[in-house]
Amino acid sequence: MENSAVSRKETDRLDAKSFFGVIFARPEIGPIGVMLLLFGMLGYFSIPAGEFSWNPFAGEGFNALGIRNNLKVISQLSIIALGAGLLIVAGEFDLSIGSMIGFAGACMAMILRWGFTIIVPYVSFAGGPHIEFITLIHISDISPIGAILITLCFTLFFGWLQGFIVVKSGLPSFIVTLGGLFFLRGLTEVSLRSFNHRPDQVKGATTVTEIPDIKNIIEVPGYGEIEREAAKALPEKDLVGIFDALPASTVADLTEKLNYTYQRVADAKTDIMASRGVKPLERALENAVESGNTQMADTIRDKIATFSIEPVVAKSVSQADVARAYLDTVFSARPVANFFGGDILEPFFDWLYFSVDWNTNNFGNQFAQGLYSCVMIALILALACHIVLSRTQAGNWIYSTGGNLQAAKANGVPTDKVKVCLFIFSAFCATIFAACQVFEVNTADAARGNLKELEAIAAAVIGGIVMTGGFGTVLGIVVGAFIFGLAKEAFFYIPGIDGSFYRVFLGLVIVASALLNENIRKRIMGTI
Amino acid sequence: MSANASKPLIETRNLVKKFGSFTALNGVSLKVYSGEVHALLGDNGAGKSTLIKILSGVFPPTSGEIAVEGEVVSFASPRNATEAGIGTVYQDLALNPLTSVTRNFFLGRELTRFKSPFGLLKMGEMHQIAMQEMKKIGITISDPEQAVGTMSGGQRQTLAIARAIYFGAKVLILDEPTSALGQKQQMEVLKTIRRVQKLGNIAIILITHNEIHARLIADRFTFLSLGEVIGEGTSKDLEGDDIKRLMAGGAKIGDLAKELAI
Ligand SMILES: Nc1ncnc2c1ncn2[C@@H]1O[C@H](COP(=O)(O)OP(=O)(O)OP(=O)(O)O)[C@@H](O)[C@H]1O
Ligand SMILES: [Mg+2]
Repeated sequence: MENSAVSRKETDRLDAKSFFGVIFARPEIGPIGVMLLLFGMLGYFSIPAGEFSWNPFAGEGFNALGIRNNLKVISQLSIIALGAGLLIVAGEFDLSIGSMIGFAGACMAMILRWGFTIIVPYVSFAGGPHIEFITLIHISDISPIGAILITLCFTLFFGWLQGFIVVKSGLPSFIVTLGGLFFLRGLTEVSLRSFNHRPDQVKGATTVTEIPDIKNIIEVPGYGEIEREAAKALPEKDLVGIFDALPASTVADLTEKLNYTYQRVADAKTDIMASRGVKPLERALENAVESGNTQMADTIRDKIATFSIEPVVAKSVSQADVARAYLDTVFSARPVANFFGGDILEPFFDWLYFSVDWNTNNFGNQFAQGLYSCVMIALILALACHIVLSRTQAGNWIYSTGGNLQAAKANGVPTDKVKVCLFIFSAFCATIFAACQVFEVNTADAARGNLKELEAIAAAVIGGIVMTGGFGTVLGIVVGAFIFGLAKEAFFYIPGIDGSFYRVFLGLVIVASALLNENIRKRIMGTI
Repeated sequence: MSANASKPLIETRNLVKKFGSFTALNGVSLKVYSGEVHALLGDNGAGKSTLIKILSGVFPPTSGEIAVEGEVVSFASPRNATEAGIGTVYQDLALNPLTSVTRNFFLGRELTRFKSPFGLLKMGEMHQIAMQEMKKIGITISDPEQAVGTMSGGQRQTLAIARAIYFGAKVLILDEPTSALGQKQQMEVLKTIRRVQKLGNIAIILITHNEIHARLIADRFTFLSLGEVIGEGTSKDLEGDDIKRLMAGGAKIGDLAKELAI
């Protein structure tokens, strides 16, 4: 007995970690469970009644278009939730994210639409004192990257300013960024109204419209840079001209694809017409069976069995069709705009349509062209944040700044810098969000981003970020964004209930997650 | 231990600290030798914390000087003091309870693959060093990934002490390391202090209100009262009663007994 007591070591007191033990000890495990639940709900509830399938991808929620749209919502939310979440880990809040999105979008759109000008006002005394302006710089025709960089100058400065005020004054960031929330929204509306004076604009509108579809500007030999849709709408003979210039292999490839599509469309039409023709017969059969007229029922059954219609003949492929199909494949001449607002993975979605026969809508056409580019941006950002937070010195500083500020300071961690940098990062994320929106839809609106700051914080909390700081992971934040985005969609499909129940659900999930997070935090603090 | 008694590792000469019109320290001189535990004793408000805050660079003295290994130094910040080899283990230990042992051990001085805040952490190496350094002064931890919040108070003390020593502390300042600990954990900390003492090259300044602890472990004593030194000596010089009396600010036990008899 005595011997065994002596030979016991500290390491013996810890149970060996089992594989499942390790997995279930991860703080993200709860949120991941909820995410899978919602995934299943969205998948199965969106399958039309009577067409049961074990495949969650069979319904509208996760057909190609559903995936495209859901992932867009989730990625955009992830982008801002990362900014908000890392800041919360460091112990601060940013309520200005939503307004920052509106501001950044408006800023970018105005620059793209009207150029960038620096004007200096001064008081002139010639003929009585009054204010005059000199234009220091005016640049019209600013490229997308230029617009983004100029916007970043403003937004990052504002992020820095908020952070600076917070760390220097010691005021709660809640108040400082609440000020930012009103300030930026107001500033956005005021500037948009004062810019919308031009004769071509509705006076006083708080939107920017008529920005060209920059991401779809392509280079077409003989036509220079031209918008894709404009090129496709060229007169027949111009399209034939474009066709003539194409290499034979491209023509062969495109023709084959178009033939495939046209055949699919024709088949779909045939199906639709057939079912339309059979429907009245089926109804008649039902009536006949109900009224007990067996003879009549048999006749109708026969008719249904032999029912057939002429299959629709597929459209033939014209040279202009090939030219238009070719124009669709030309890569953007504005890669930056395309990076933020365009699509990715088009070859994969083409493959899904042409080879896997999955990405097909009811009319036989290709469903989704690809995923929104913001999916890739969110992934890149999440990966970078994950590495920084979990694997670098900066990450340890972020955790300790939020976990025990005094301890971090005493150990020489530049906690003020850490906080200010994260305020700037939060503004950066909001700007990226805005860039994705502006280049996707080519408009801006002062109301954009409304309440997004709260959605971002909600996603972070759902994903296991502790509100008092010091605890949480990037994986958690992304899972939180998934839960938020999926819930929004899933409840829409549940038969017989109001879609707004998703808010009720999220409300419960937020509080439940916060309780769970607090429990985990207390367990780690050793208080329970 | 008294082999190098002739040359103190750290010495204060006539330190005065005023907070406005209030004199917290009034000419305190102190000599601390390597390999020794120097107990700093005194009543609440005597000025012990003020003295060690000056030593650790939290604020400068109003007058007087500090000498480390014979050289006069002045600290503009706690960083300066750390660089000069003065490691302070604060009452709150300056630990982040939410992260791991290793992350706390290297907090603010993380080992990275290239020198930048965005340099990747050398986690494996850091785990190994943290474990090994803690083992040196007596505690084997089972898992370097364990959150500090789940460690016992004694283990946390050890972590903070091991960290200070590893990062070059020649003088280790411990402000009431045993307060707020259970009986067993107090012993754990004392054992840790004893191991550091045995390393021989580190001077320890120990602030405590516990007479027994002081007597168990200290080689030299300084008693503060109302900002002044009212007594000092080695453990041999002082009798048990003396210590009690001096700790209470110079009052005689008999007086104290009278005071209590209301
Ligand atoms: N920043 C300050 N401003 C004004 N007075 C101070 C300040 N810091 C300490 N004091 C005063 O200086 C005196 C000494 O305080 P100190 O904290 O050094 O005492 P202590 O010996 O550590 O006491 P304890 O044993 O209770 O920790 C106290 O009267 C205290 O009120
Ligand atoms: Mg004190």
